[in-house]
Amino acid sequence: MPAHPPSTPALVLRASTLAYLGVMVVLPLTALAIQATGAGPSSFVKAVLDPFAWHALKLTFATAGVMVAMNAVMGTATAWVLVRYDFPGKGLMNALIDLPFAVPTVVTGLMLVALYGPSSVLGTILGRAGLAVIYQQPGIVLALLFVTYPFVIRSVQPVLMEIDRGEEEAAATLGAKPWTIFRRVTFPTLYPSILTGTALAFSRALGEFGSVVMVAGNRPLETKTGPMYVFGEIESGNRYPAMVVSAVLLASSLAILIALNLIQRRRGGEHGE
Amino acid sequence: MRTGRANPWVLLAALTLGALGPACEPSGASKGDDVLTLGAYSVVREAFHDGLLPAFAKVWHAKTGHVVRFEESYNGSGAQARAIASGFDADVAVLSLESDMDALVKAGLVKEDWNAGPDRGNVTNSLVVIGYRDGNPKGLRDWPDLARPGVAVLYPDPKTSGGARWNIAAIWGAGLLSGEGGSQKPEAARDLLARVQANVVNMDGSGRQSLATFERGTGDAVVTYENELLLRRKYGKAPIPYATPEATLRIESPAALVETSVARHGNREVAEAFLAFLRSDQGQAILAEYGFRPVNPQLEVAGLPSMPAKLFTIRDLGGWPAVKKTVFDAGGAWASTFTRRAGGK
Repeated sequence: MPAHPPSTPALVLRASTLAYLGVMVVLPLTALAIQATGAGPSSFVKAVLDPFAWHALKLTFATAGVMVAMNAVMGTATAWVLVRYDFPGKGLMNALIDLPFAVPTVVTGLMLVALYGPSSVLGTILGRAGLAVIYQQPGIVLALLFVTYPFVIRSVQPVLMEIDRGEEEAAATLGAKPWTIFRRVTFPTLYPSILTGTALAFSRALGEFGSVVMVAGNRPLETKTGPMYVFGEIESGNRYPAMVVSAVLLASSLAILIALNLIQRRRGGEHGE
Repeated sequence: MRTGRANPWVLLAALTLGALGPACEPSGASKGDDVLTLGAYSVVREAFHDGLLPAFAKVWHAKTGHVVRFEESYNGSGAQARAIASGFDADVAVLSLESDMDALVKAGLVKEDWNAGPDRGNVTNSLVVIGYRDGNPKGLRDWPDLARPGVAVLYPDPKTSGGARWNIAAIWGAGLLSGEGGSQKPEAARDLLARVQANVVNMDGSGRQSLATFERGTGDAVVTYENELLLRRKYGKAPIPYATPEATLRIESPAALVETSVARHGNREVAEAFLAFLRSDQGQAILAEYGFRPVNPQLEVAGLPSMPAKLFTIRDLGGWPAVKKTVFDAGGAWASTFTRRAGGK
């Protein structure tokens, strides 16, 4: 840190970005937190443990968990292919990866229903095999996979590009097999970025509404997720349960992001930054 | 006027609606124009925008020489009621259910005797019916057919849709009133509702979305308002054939003057004339063109299927507050179909 006091423009810049964060993010979240906790801890716990709310929360976390596990593996593999291999169409593949961010989530849902819905060719075949996807829980995972597709890839890719291939080559020279090299040399460097990607994807999935509402079926205690529960309670005039479930989802996201920050900071320390 | 704490969600919705409503209309209002703000539920949009409003403008101009300009807002019934209750200054509220209007009475916006007339404040009637696929491959005629295994049913989520509340109340009521000599059978009602609900594949946010899902090929049956299916003919959409169950519920939707708005705008005369027009033979005939059944039993509408043998109303089930408690609230017949099923697993 420089010893002399910061200049006026620097102070103005700092203050204005802090104020911006305050107005855009902290203020609305604080309002939500106050409304959700205003009635005291026992009402809060009661609202969370309501069978419909509790099931919606469990389903949200479970589907996000399955999605994250699949994303961690497939996202890392995709980043690996993009960085380590050259093949025709690689540029196009790279461009396609970010596209899910640009699709309105409702359209995502509609697309999935058209493709896998009970009246589609694929949906009929899957249905006969007893593997109905749309209006069932797997449909939720499918929608979450689509909307979070880029997270892991885009967080692993730059790290993989920066990796010093010398270490891998040294390991190979010493006789290590490719899988051992990945496990012992490459993965330890990659895993924080995989963690970052999955954590962001998980947080994003906790609040996902637009695509899920189209594919889930919206049946309470079966396929109704947290955000759908929140929407239903608000629309039927029950604001408090909606606020409580939102607060739980938000607090979980916040905890994940803080934990991530701590892990990264510790790692930064190891590298002497 | 005391409206209690302002609801921020609804304020935001009201502001959006307030901004959207006038933006859709040409803003060439001159001083002699009457302005009428309409806060309605979404199902009546076509009937009002294309039918009633132009017709009333003509009648009003012929009678007074004034041009009337409308500011229209259409939304889900519950959302509309909440928007009006927290400040959206509609002069006339047209809502799906009496209980939504009661919320405005509670807020002190609508007179307590708004439903004292012979039509109980209602301006439209319709029936809860079963839409099915061409040729009726599953042979669906009545509620018990929807409870058969392998029949995929659609209706929206009663948490977000007033239409779904009518639908579910119809199924529950048909079971409840199935006893001989008017005896009530709550167990039969519960059982019928639970078995139909078990066949529901997707619960959309609104009745319109539910119809769209059915059109996209999902489901064997869609439970909906008769007027929604009749409206399709008027707009040249592919017809969805339907069956009227032997026992079904008459959907009655009210309209009322919002006293506080009318007082603020000073347009009581035109607002009252509009409400009277809705109930007039001309107004009812226009509503019938858009698929509604008239509220005046003397008015005959040609070309509609005959009324079901055991038509009942929400009052036969004890009124909306009682139905809300016994069917929709926690522990009610609908809510407990899920908890019972989950408990049995």
